[in-house]
Amino acid sequence: MQFINSLRGEWLKTRRSAASWLCLIGGFLLPLLYFIGALKDHNTLNSLPVNSEIWKVYFFQIWRFMAVVMLPMGLILSSSLMTQLEFRNNTWKQVLTTPQSIGTIYLAKLSAILLMTLKFFIFFNIGMLAAAIIPSLIFDHQLPRDSFPYSFYLVNNLKILLTCMPVIAIQYLISLRFKNFLVPIGAGLMFWLVSVILVNTWKYAYVSPYSYTPMIGLNTKLPAGINILILSGVYSAVFFAAGFFVFRAKREVS
Amino acid sequence: MYCIETKQLSFKYSGGAPVLQGIDLQVPEGCIYGFLGPNGAGKTTTLRLLLGLLKKQEGAMLLFGKEFERNRIEILQKTGSLIEAPSLYSHLTARENLDIMRYLYDFPPKRIDAVLDLAGLGNVGSKTVGKFSLGMKQRLSIAIALLHQPELLILDEPTNGLDPNGIIEMRELLKALNKEYKTTILISSHLLSEIEKLVTHIGIINKGQLLFQGTLEDLQRKQKQGASTIFHTGDAGSTMRILQENGLQPVLADGMVLIPLVDRSVIAGINQQLVAEGVVVFEISSGRNDLESIFIDLVNN
Repeated sequence: MQFINSLRGEWLKTRRSAASWLCLIGGFLLPLLYFIGALKDHNTLNSLPVNSEIWKVYFFQIWRFMAVVMLPMGLILSSSLMTQLEFRNNTWKQVLTTPQSIGTIYLAKLSAILLMTLKFFIFFNIGMLAAAIIPSLIFDHQLPRDSFPYSFYLVNNLKILLTCMPVIAIQYLISLRFKNFLVPIGAGLMFWLVSVILVNTWKYAYVSPYSYTPMIGLNTKLPAGINILILSGVYSAVFFAAGFFVFRAKREVS
Repeated sequence: MYCIETKQLSFKYSGGAPVLQGIDLQVPEGCIYGFLGPNGAGKTTTLRLLLGLLKKQEGAMLLFGKEFERNRIEILQKTGSLIEAPSLYSHLTARENLDIMRYLYDFPPKRIDAVLDLAGLGNVGSKTVGKFSLGMKQRLSIAIALLHQPELLILDEPTNGLDPNGIIEMRELLKALNKEYKTTILISSHLLSEIEKLVTHIGIINKGQLLFQGTLEDLQRKQKQGASTIFHTGDAGSTMRILQENGLQPVLADGMVLIPLVDRSVIAGINQQLVAEGVVVFEISSGRNDLESIFIDLVNN
């Protein structure tokens, strides 16, 4: 119960916050651009140069841009912004003098970041489908004949979500550790940039968790035996645990 | 019984000089304890230790008779606090800021209206805190500290940013809380004059050491003992003699003669005697004998 109450509080803190606006704008920006492009060119899903599995082709086409640039940047910014909210408002001392365990505080804030990421995925998927369906209705084009692949969309969304976890874990850890907002943002952007550069040029690029969403977006071929979903799980577990120990050790955070 | 008791509490920041040296704080239950000291004396460090915002290094810390580290959540459940500058989410409204705390303490929404009214913020509950003045933020911080009806309030310089009216209102509010709900209040300040009308007990800290601790009456007694009359004359030797002849025990300091505070009629008589014997009298004054001077004397010594 304490955790739920704590999470409610953390979620309320996101209201009108920069992270919340980022989630809304980031989630709908790319679908909106697709939508505008479709209106301008009178293109709809039927214009894609494939005969079958149009929904799947569309999924990867729109996710490619998102997964390489916008998603990692959004994760870096939102994780850092949500954690740094306490430093910026000088509220760590308020949080740490409430009757909740250090573990609850850590988990509740982390859960709020994860919920915000989930909210972003929901917005993006709604936008993505709207950008596909609305132009078809406007131009009276038919929607693809093949049935909508619900499980494909769900599984692939979950896969991408899982590859986001290590980035969230690392950003959360750095944001808890450093008071200066530029440290987590700067470190995150640097890790991401290096990872994107190396993703198609270095065979060991998979060691960087920041390369996982770009790898999905660019459909990068991985060496045999390497599974970025498993690596994501391992990295997440390690960095979430490390973040907790850093947070517990550094009690004087305000 | 003491609501707060520390035993030989010491603390130093890594690589720095000791900030606290063997503090034995004793805050009786139901009292209003003024924790005084100049800036940098160690007040905020003590309060941060009491709230678990700093890790205890040496000594013992008991709140409600229980060791803090082992009973942190139980103790914080009964404690409200305001440490240094207000801690508020500037993008949220006053009501939303209170809501966050309400969830944590599991209180009904109607309690928010009660504390907003209590803090004089009843009509600005839906305004975002970023648009608040410093005084309003301070009031809201007090409202947050009071939300869960704590048994102990720890307030670090809560009148910072308040106008004179605000200071008086806060004083009345704290007095009422103490009287009606028997709330123990530990309030820090660097100005004795600001809290002497409020507190029942006083602790004076300087350079990490507790210089005085006791009731306000104890301090007032000390004040009377410390007060003196000062004679600045052209002939200190003759002045000493005349004062001794009058049964007083003068002390010579920096060319001036000091005696314990005496009645004005006695001073007038001695002055006549000095003039009659040809001693030039430049000045006769009573040493400052208010609580502030005692505080300053303690701190300077």
